[in-house]
Formats: sequence, C-alpha cells, structure tokens
Amino acid sequence: MVRFEDVVLRYGQGPEILKHVSLQFDPGSYHFLVGASGAGKSSLLRMMYLAQHPTAGRVALFGRNVAGLTRQETAVLRRRIGVVFQDFRLLEHLTARENVALPLQISGEAGARSNKDVEELLTWVGLADHMDALPPTLSGGQQQRVAIARAVIGRPSLLLADEPTGNLDDRMAVRLLYLFEELNKIGTTVVIATHNESLVQRFRHPITRLVGGEIAAPESSSAAGSPA
Amino acid sequence: MNRRRKRQAVPLDRDASGRYLPLLVAIMVYLAALALAGAMVANKLAARWDSGLAGSLTVQLPAAEPTAEPEAAEQQDPALQAVVDLLEQTPGVVTTEVLWRGEISALLEPWLGEALLIDDLPLPQLIAVTIDPDQPPDLTALRRAVLAAAPGSIVDDHQRWLAHLLDLAWAVEIMAIVVVAMVLSAAAIMVAFVTRMGLAAHDQAIELLHLIGAQDSYVARQFQSHALSLGLRGGLIGLACALPTLYLGRSLLERIESGLLPELSLRPHEWSLLILLPVASALVTMFTARVTVLRTLARMP
Repeated sequence: MVRFEDVVLRYGQGPEILKHVSLQFDPGSYHFLVGASGAGKSSLLRMMYLAQHPTAGRVALFGRNVAGLTRQETAVLRRRIGVVFQDFRLLEHLTARENVALPLQISGEAGARSNKDVEELLTWVGLADHMDALPPTLSGGQQQRVAIARAVIGRPSLLLADEPTGNLDDRMAVRLLYLFEELNKIGTTVVIATHNESLVQRFRHPITRLVGGEIAAPESSSAAGSPA
Repeated sequence: MNRRRKRQAVPLDRDASGRYLPLLVAIMVYLAALALAGAMVANKLAARWDSGLAGSLTVQLPAAEPTAEPEAAEQQDPALQAVVDLLEQTPGVVTTEVLWRGEISALLEPWLGEALLIDDLPLPQLIAVTIDPDQPPDLTALRRAVLAAAPGSIVDDHQRWLAHLLDLAWAVEIMAIVVVAMVLSAAAIMVAFVTRMGLAAHDQAIELLHLIGAQDSYVARQFQSHALSLGLRGGLIGLACALPTLYLGRSLLERIESGLLPELSLRPHEWSLLILLPVASALVTMFTARVTVLRTLARMP
C-alpha cells in the first residue's frame, strides 16, 4: 500500500528533513507515526498524500511509483486517499456540510444519497446542530471533526491523519480513533501521525517512531484490548 | 441543502477584480457593437450604390449658350434629340430619360439656392439611360456614336466613381472587423489577467482541491463558469448601451435626408449579429478563463 525506499527529503538547500527512510505499510494495516515536533512526521505524510516529492529515493503508493505519475493519474490516486490536515484546511466560505461533501462532488458522486451520508457522518462526529455553520464560527475541535468527516466521507483506501486529535478532548479523541478503527476493519489502511503517546498506547497497533528524520527501532503499543 | 444556491468551491464571486470585469466587457461590447453596425451600414451603402448604378449610364451633353427661354431652347435642341434617337436605336439600351432643365434645377436647388440663380448657370443636358445588364451595349462604339452626334458629349458608366466609393465602403468594413477583432482580443487579454489574479488569490483553496483529488479541469470549470456569467452580464450591459447610441445615429442620419446615405434600419439577421455579441463576449471570457487556468496549472509541479 505504502512503500518508501531510502527516501531523503530536504526543502531547497536546507538540511535533510528525512534521512534515508525505508518503510512499508501493508493494505488494511493501522499505524501510528509518532515523534517529537520537527521529527519529520508531517513531511512523511505529505509525501504519502502526494503533496511532496522525495529529494532522493523511491515512494510507491498502491503499487505505483509516484515519480512517474501524470497530473491526471495523481488526481485519480489522491481520490483513494483521505487526509486529515493538521491545520484542517477547511474552505471558510462553505458550510460544514459543503466542506464534507467536497470530495464526493469532486469525484462526481454527489447526490441525494451522498447528502444523507454527509448528514449521518456529521451527526456521528457530534455536529448535527452545526451542519450549516461556516468554519470560522466553529471551535477548533469542531473544525477538526469537520476535517475528519471530509477525510473519511469517500471511504478512502488509505487514510492519513496529521495530529487528528490535537484539538479534541480525550473522549472525542478516542471516539474518532474508533471511527478510524471501523474504517480499518473494512479494509482502509490508516496512518496517524501524533505526538499524543498516551492515546497511542491505548491501541494495539504498530508504531513507527521518527527521531530527527530517521526511523527508530520498531515497537508496538503496549495496551491490549479496546480503549476505555 | 438542495434549496440553497450551490456555492463554488473557489469563492471567485468575492474577488474585487471580478467586480470590474463586467464593466470592462460592457465597454468592449459597446465598441464592438458600434463597429459592427458601422460595418453593416457600409456594406449596405456599397450594395445600394452598386445595385443603384449597375445597369445605368448617364450621357452628358455640353451646356448650351444662355438664352432668354432656356427650357424651350433645350426641348428644340437638335443635338439632344439626335443623341436620344441614337440611344433608343442602340441594342442593349432599355430606356432613356432626358433630365430637363427644371428637374436639374430642382436637384441643385438645395445646394445652390434660388432657382433664379440657377437659370443663369450654363447647365449641361443630361440623359439617364438604363441598359440591359445581361446584354449591355458596346460602350466604346456608343461613346464614338454619341460624340459624332453631339461633339463634346460624355458617356459616363459611373464605374470610376463607383469603384472609389466601393473601395471606401470596403475599407470601412475591414476597419470595423479589425476593431471587433481587437476588442475581442483586448477582452481575452483582460480575462486572462483577471484569471491569473484569481489563481494567485485562491492558491490555497486550489491546492486543497487538488489534494482531495480534483483534476485541473474541475478547477478550470470553477473559473470558466464564473467568467461566463461575468462575460454575459457585461455583454448585455454593453449591448443595452449600444442600442440607444445606434438609435441616435439613425435619427441624425435621417435628419440629413441625403439620397447618398442609406437608411440605418437593420435587417433581422443584422440584429441577430448584434444580439450575438453578448453571447460571443461570454464565450470568449469563458474559453479564455479555461485555457488560462489549464495552462497555468499544467506548469505547476
């Protein structure tokens, strides 16, 4: 599903952000990407959602080397990827409902049924009363939930989330990670970048730790069973 | 949700640059409408002169010596009668009509004033001749025969004069078409500029759309539908302003009451050309916006 081979990333003439990173996430797996701020988590995710090309090395998604993709192929591939951006990236002139429906509209799936899906999803993330609210009128946590709903509405094959629980209380954070688990159970590969290690420890999923742009020794979360 | 107006993903309707575009397109369409109407009038003028003078000749006999009763002298002029007889017997001549002194005076009166003064002028004698356009007479032979019958006479087939006027009308038409082409080009350049500004202003929204799977054509559709709406709005305003101007021009021409100038009323197909201008402006703005967006995005990494 996701394969990095000896990937190096630097912005311009700056220092190496990622240093010879090699990793592989199999289809249907669930991974946490942890590390301190500046360790390179977001950069790694940016390459996974095709916003950034590596300076050196090879990145393959869905079995395809991304280096040779045309703009059209890139767009088609991106439709299979759901992304929760760290800064949400909601369109401020669109309502919560319209923001969530955007991926369906882009892929030509918008319709009465998709409207129902959007409403159900927004209700599920606790925004039933804010469907027609514009993002600037929502709190940080509410905006984050809209961003999460937008990322999962298209039932992506690969879900990437950059600090998806940063603005949420623990209860809502766990609830959303449950949602990701549900998606994972139906085959979605999930990669979550977070610095919230206590939350990660509640789940039994592989952890990839980034330290100074390099991957540290593999480990897995210690707690067993479902989160409380 | 379905009751609400669907909002575009790229909020182009909030751009300040977009607010002025309809006004600029309106000015362009206004100029194009006037140029087009000018071209159509020139075309009509040329057609009128062409059809009016084709198949006709004017025979001009030299002015007779002034007499106390010029009209009576004219009617008894043997040279005039000889030329008329000659013309009537010439194959290819359909009709001949002598313009008597009184008729010529009436034609000149608006320019020269009192008939009294005209009576003192040595006016040439004119014969209007209609010829069969399919079997015209041999002009060289006719000129020679007329000269023999009335020395100093001129047979004028109007071709030299007509050619100059037709050249002028043709030049006016070409100029009008060039003006329309330049106006459309200027509109396209302006739209391309505004579209680039829009792309720069909304780069974050466009990047997001790309990241969630939008093709360049999806982004282009946002811009082209916005440009289509602005172009159509501007075009309709421009046409609405051009129509009173054309009406005013027509009224002024009618006041001149000159036989040389045609009526400025447009035929239905000419009206449809003018009415198509807002549609053309809308299509030009739409296609320019689409091409600009696609070309700009294609250059992005």
